[in-house]
Amino acid sequence: MRSHRSAFRWLVSKEWRELVSSRAWWVLLLAMGPLVGVSFISAVRVYGEASGLNGTSAGVGEAFSPLIGIWAPTFSACELAAAFLLPFVGIRLVSGDKQSGALKMELQHPMPAFARIGAKALVLFAGWLVAFSAPLAAILLWRSYGGSVYPPEVATVAMGHLLNAGLTIALAAATASLTEHPSTAAILTLSVTVGTWIINFIAAVNGGVWERAAGYTPTAMVAEFQHGLVRLDVTLVALALIAAGLTLSAIWIRLGVTIHRRVYESVAVAAIAAAAIFACAFVNTSWDTSESRANSFAESDETALRQIRLPLQIEAHLAPEDPRRFDLEHRAIGKLRRVMPKVQVNYVSATSIGLFEQTSAHYGEIWYELGDRKTMSRMTTAEGVLEAIYSIAGVPVPVEKDDEFRGHPLAVPPKGAATVFYGIWPAAIVAGLFFVRRRRA
Amino acid sequence: MKFLQVTNLTKRYGNLTALSDVSFSIRDGEVLGLIGPNGSGKTTLFECLGGVLPADGGVLLGGDRPLTPAERIATIFYLPDAITPWPTQTVTWALDFAIGFFGGRAAIRDDVVLRLGLGPLLDSTIATLSKGQRKRALLAIGLLMPQPVLMADEPFEGLDLRQTREVAQALRAFADAGRTLVLSIHQIGDAARVCDRFVLLSGGRTCGEGTRDELAALAAARGARSSDLEDIFLALT
Repeated sequence: MRSHRSAFRWLVSKEWRELVSSRAWWVLLLAMGPLVGVSFISAVRVYGEASGLNGTSAGVGEAFSPLIGIWAPTFSACELAAAFLLPFVGIRLVSGDKQSGALKMELQHPMPAFARIGAKALVLFAGWLVAFSAPLAAILLWRSYGGSVYPPEVATVAMGHLLNAGLTIALAAATASLTEHPSTAAILTLSVTVGTWIINFIAAVNGGVWERAAGYTPTAMVAEFQHGLVRLDVTLVALALIAAGLTLSAIWIRLGVTIHRRVYESVAVAAIAAAAIFACAFVNTSWDTSESRANSFAESDETALRQIRLPLQIEAHLAPEDPRRFDLEHRAIGKLRRVMPKVQVNYVSATSIGLFEQTSAHYGEIWYELGDRKTMSRMTTAEGVLEAIYSIAGVPVPVEKDDEFRGHPLAVPPKGAATVFYGIWPAAIVAGLFFVRRRRA
Repeated sequence: MKFLQVTNLTKRYGNLTALSDVSFSIRDGEVLGLIGPNGSGKTTLFECLGGVLPADGGVLLGGDRPLTPAERIATIFYLPDAITPWPTQTVTWALDFAIGFFGGRAAIRDDVVLRLGLGPLLDSTIATLSKGQRKRALLAIGLLMPQPVLMADEPFEGLDLRQTREVAQALRAFADAGRTLVLSIHQIGDAARVCDRFVLLSGGRTCGEGTRDELAALAAARGARSSDLEDIFLALT
């Protein structure tokens, strides 16, 4: 009987069946529970102790935010799984057709190559969503303890990890299509992952352009989302990279096209992706979804800063590895860029660690220039930076309202979490595997 | 009646020329046997015609003009040898996939299953099938494809004598019903059993094309005395 389902639906259904019958995916699912469990249990314990559990000083955790205290560490398990487990699931799904010979048959359907890879990516993403139910179980547990859940910030953390998974899937698909053997694809994928870590390391040492590039590595991207910050440039760059990876995969999966043509098309895709990423880097829009406004100044300060029309230039004499530079960037400059997109920050240093520059007369100075006015400060806190800016801008220091985030302390132990993540989760996965295998048999 | 014409097909792997100006025709509703020893370029030729390997030269003509890639896909289906597609899926699912995904011939599904003796294997996963069973399942998939021309690489590979005869009969029956079959065969005896015409391939070159009688006449002109297909092949290659 002729089925009326479209070819694409058949392909998606086939890819799903292949995913479900792949051991790599079941291993990923099995590992997710304990991975999330370890992070969640440890996070809840620390959060509870800081909130006064087990006789520790109550009140220490008054400014505790579940975003930083619970969600960032709990979801970090997804980052590990995305780096070390998901690539193998993706490579298996893409390379499997090549290894088995199914690709030679499927390529004889007139479906565009991008649709073929799209079907695989869609299924891999759905498979990742199933694995994602582990951190979602952590949210339910936290809620059951009476913990506070602020949906926008949880959604932001989840979005970061979903984008990261998308990047991994696109990378795995590209390497699996480019290489003859899955093991080569795995080595290539892990090399790219390690390569992004090297970029982060070089950025930490050298700063400058490297620092800018490192802002778009998966690790840095996830970190932004984990702080409750949705940056449109980072999101667009991630989407451009995902699209480029999947397109490369689609190009190289076409066995019947000459290598020369595939190389030319790949170069064109790389050029378009590079141009798109370059353009995205100029986008300044961002949203702070954290309940504590961790990425923003107080609203009164933001209102005051918006009154400043002249372009602000900051010159900070701090080395890339100086902790004060990290403080300045994350506690003040990052927030400042969100309110004053035209702010220009220039870091000046002769060395990477700054240790031997301390005796230099100007080291540690932060110069602010607005129009023809200039001032210097050595403070790297948000308050210090704001004070310097207000002084040269001639803007009165706004009166702070008493609407500061007070935190959600919760002094509870991670009750039942071990049972869920180390017992119920693995048992459910094993039962699921047996159920699927029995249905097939 | 000439249906397709392969003209000057050439394929090189670096310095090695796998196919050199290979030309032959495919007629509507015939069983054409592509005969050649191992390494003669049969699989390379099929892969180039099937569109899963880029050729370095040559055209596939449909009538008087070259077929576009879309027309080629709509005309020819290439069934590779020695593959285990969708190994974790059942034979039933694979047949349904051939019909559903490729828009295959649902009307002949039961007939194909019956003629190739796949009934008892329908619920088995493809990876668990023996070589011969897998070959029959693959042939079933090929026969269900919607394209008018089926190119099967080594369709009798892995089959025992009885199975070879049954499969040959089945292929013959589908050809008689109007399907055009191009079979790559290295066992000349198997080819003689099922094919209407033959293309002899050796060292990446066509050494002869025609019916058994036409090839025998060609071989006789070169001094061959026997009309046995094996002797003809040896005389012409």
